[in-house]
Amino acid sequence: MKPEQRKPFSKEIIHIDDIEQVCNRIVAKLKTDVTKNLQRRGAIVGISGGIDSSVCLALSAKAFGAKNVLGIMLPEQDSSDDSRQLAEQLAATYGVSTLVEDITNALDGFGCYERRDEAILRVIPDFDKKVDKAKIEIKQNIAENIPAIFSITVIKPNGDVVSKLLPAKEYLQIVASTNFKQRSRMSMLYYHAERMHYAVIGTPNKHEVEQGFFVKYGDGGADVMPIGHLYKTQVYQLAKHLGVPQEIIDRTPTTDTYTAEQSQEDFFYQMPFESMDLIWYGWEHKYPAEEVGKVMGKTTKEIENIYKSFERKRKTTEYLRMKPIF
Amino acid sequence: MLLYQMKNTNEVKAEIKKYILEASLSDVKDVDDDALIFENGLLDSMGLLFLIEFLGEAFQVEVSDDELNPKNFESINNIVSFVSNKLSVKV
Repeated sequence: MKPEQRKPFSKEIIHIDDIEQVCNRIVAKLKTDVTKNLQRRGAIVGISGGIDSSVCLALSAKAFGAKNVLGIMLPEQDSSDDSRQLAEQLAATYGVSTLVEDITNALDGFGCYERRDEAILRVIPDFDKKVDKAKIEIKQNIAENIPAIFSITVIKPNGDVVSKLLPAKEYLQIVASTNFKQRSRMSMLYYHAERMHYAVIGTPNKHEVEQGFFVKYGDGGADVMPIGHLYKTQVYQLAKHLGVPQEIIDRTPTTDTYTAEQSQEDFFYQMPFESMDLIWYGWEHKYPAEEVGKVMGKTTKEIENIYKSFERKRKTTEYLRMKPIF
Repeated sequence: MLLYQMKNTNEVKAEIKKYILEASLSDVKDVDDDALIFENGLLDSMGLLFLIEFLGEAFQVEVSDDELNPKNFESINNIVSFVSNKLSVKV
């Protein structure tokens, strides 16, 4: 689209006006993709009590009927307790059957926890894995023009916090170990999909897909991704329209991967979804930084740096979206 | 006095530049000492992480969260100043 043809940048620019129509279109496409293109007769959805998987379950129930959808909860020892309760509430809302597959033993078998804790201990020697909570997070300001680097943060039972920049070796080991979680979940989802001749519905949204906030062959391993083109605020619009329980809509999106509580904003995105959606749109559609800055209450320089950060994220995570090369 | 503490700024610069050229598979004629290394795609976030690892191994320089900013890392010259300052404090 030529610059003179596009709408002036505004905070409403990605708001979906006809939500019913968008919803129907996604449902129709999902139905065609699964039944015609993939030749499968239903849907498996991994449900975590988060907004994305909840919307995917609701869309699947609409597309295939509740009886042809199975929601699977895949907790492990670090999962938060309310995830399961919310996932059950969600499934009940749409009349979808559920299964619980605790993957803790599988992860233990892979050495997921041991390998992760061993790397944390090398950086923070007094880390006590029995009582301390740990997470990795990005502490830099996204508006500063430098690539994001992760820190490890350990929270002691008395509330004391120790945080250190993660060296390359330990960062890679922690990520590689925790990725067993998403990959084990994917294996289990495919077990059920194959035994039932169903398709696995992937739950990543547009940001997760494009910024590479997913694990290759983990949560990125799925047959179809019905919300992969939607901004997070649009996913919330869909959630409201589809009647997703309010507790799920109100919950702060978390990674539910590390022992310490961690929002997706702290972990990866470095800014609130409401702003990120709009600035990403501005970047993707080549709106001048000055125009976006005026609407978002930021300087042109800040927007330029955020644009650069998006560009870096998309480029450095290209590997995750690539198919095997042959 | 340890060996790394005896290095002068030119030696520090030569080692850092050599590392960045090798890590980014670049040619010396293509990389200016004031070029913005992240903006020009010479290093990405993993590249920065490996650079920090290199600074620790080559100069025993540790980088903290608050030192991770463009002023210290956006160009070869900035990195050299950052490392040289750290080394002079150590000496």
